[in-house]
Amino acid sequence: METAELKQQLKKQIVQFLNLTSVNPDDIKDDEPLFGEGLGLDSIDSIELIVLLSREYGIEIKDPKEGRKILVDINTIAAYIEQHRTK
Amino acid sequence: MLYIHRTYCISPQQTFGQVDLETIQEPANKRLLAMEPNYEGIPPGVLRRMGRAVRMGVGASLPLIKEGLPIDGIIIGTGKGGMEDCIKFLNQIVQYEEGLLAPGNFVQSTSNAVAAQVGMMTKNKSYNSTHVHRGHAFENALIDAVMQLNQFPGKNFLLGGLDEISDFDYNIEELDGAYKKDPVSNKVLFDVDSAGSIAGEGAAVFLVNDQPADALASIRALHILHSEDEKLVADTFRQFVEKNRNAADTIDFFLSGESGDNRTRKFYTACESALPASTPVARFKHLSGEYCTASAFGLWLACRLVQGMALPAHLLKSPASVSTPQTILLYNNYKGVQHSFMLLRK
Repeated sequence: METAELKQQLKKQIVQFLNLTSVNPDDIKDDEPLFGEGLGLDSIDSIELIVLLSREYGIEIKDPKEGRKILVDINTIAAYIEQHRTK
Repeated sequence: MLYIHRTYCISPQQTFGQVDLETIQEPANKRLLAMEPNYEGIPPGVLRRMGRAVRMGVGASLPLIKEGLPIDGIIIGTGKGGMEDCIKFLNQIVQYEEGLLAPGNFVQSTSNAVAAQVGMMTKNKSYNSTHVHRGHAFENALIDAVMQLNQFPGKNFLLGGLDEISDFDYNIEELDGAYKKDPVSNKVLFDVDSAGSIAGEGAAVFLVNDQPADALASIRALHILHSEDEKLVADTFRQFVEKNRNAADTIDFFLSGESGDNRTRKFYTACESALPASTPVARFKHLSGEYCTASAFGLWLACRLVQGMALPAHLLKSPASVSTPQTILLYNNYKGVQHSFMLLRK
């Protein structure tokens, strides 16, 4: 899967998984912060995203410090998926 | 004595904001679903996680809290809580073989999620309690509020009753015969002689305290009873009426929780016949539908009636001899087992 295609799929999955009903996946910028400013996600969402990565890509994030570096924006998550996905 | 000072209601009818009970909203797919408002007081990031029960409960509670009186306790009654999210979470456990589970559905599904969310969103760390006694959930919450006021005079409590229709619960209840087999308009709910009612949902919340000044209404007496024995229910009802007649409250209106289910009609008929024939009788479940805490909708309606709301003709089972009732006796039963008598006075 091409990186651009993966990012687009990831945006759709995030919107669906986190029930972001007012957000259009196409409106999420690749470098837009997911937490705090930007998309405005919170700590419960971070757990939901970890579950998403596990279910959809077979990625297990066990170290919270590692998670903070991965779940920054679409670019960082997509890069991690490309390197570590098992499915 | 418990006094009701404010109330908000989200229901299948136009009861939130501009109230309109003249126009009857009809069921969709055999369900009377609540007309949910825009929930302007709930941040979008919080709203997106909420299930229907939590949305309705919090949505009805926030305007009441924002009116400014300090809230010294939050007491909610819900028969089933956030069942839709509960089932989503349980399905996750099966689907992902007890693996990594998303926590959102679980957080929203617990029965105490509503009282907890209201407490957290308003930074209210006072008494926070949820009662889950199926058809007596709201009544037990009300008893809790009365006990709290006896112990802590002068305090204000937020009291609420709410339930949602979930697909899972609807299917189970339908298989159990709780709802009519064929689609029925709620406009003729009481004319169809068959088993079952129409599924309903909603949230009614009340600001209550022990201060009579400027109150909408007061709860003079409450009695709850578990029984399938028609005679015992009727005898208990007569005793309740007699006991409260001694308190000089003349019951001038009977608000019946009749649900259109011909299996439970006998209880309502027995209680109606225990009152003078001239007592007007009104029914409300063609508006709310049947659910565990429908009595909270009944209480909301009773508050409106003693405040002088014009009586829509479709409410009346027998002609009304009074335009604004002063003392209303609300009788409700859930599945012909859980009965409650509530005496309300302006």
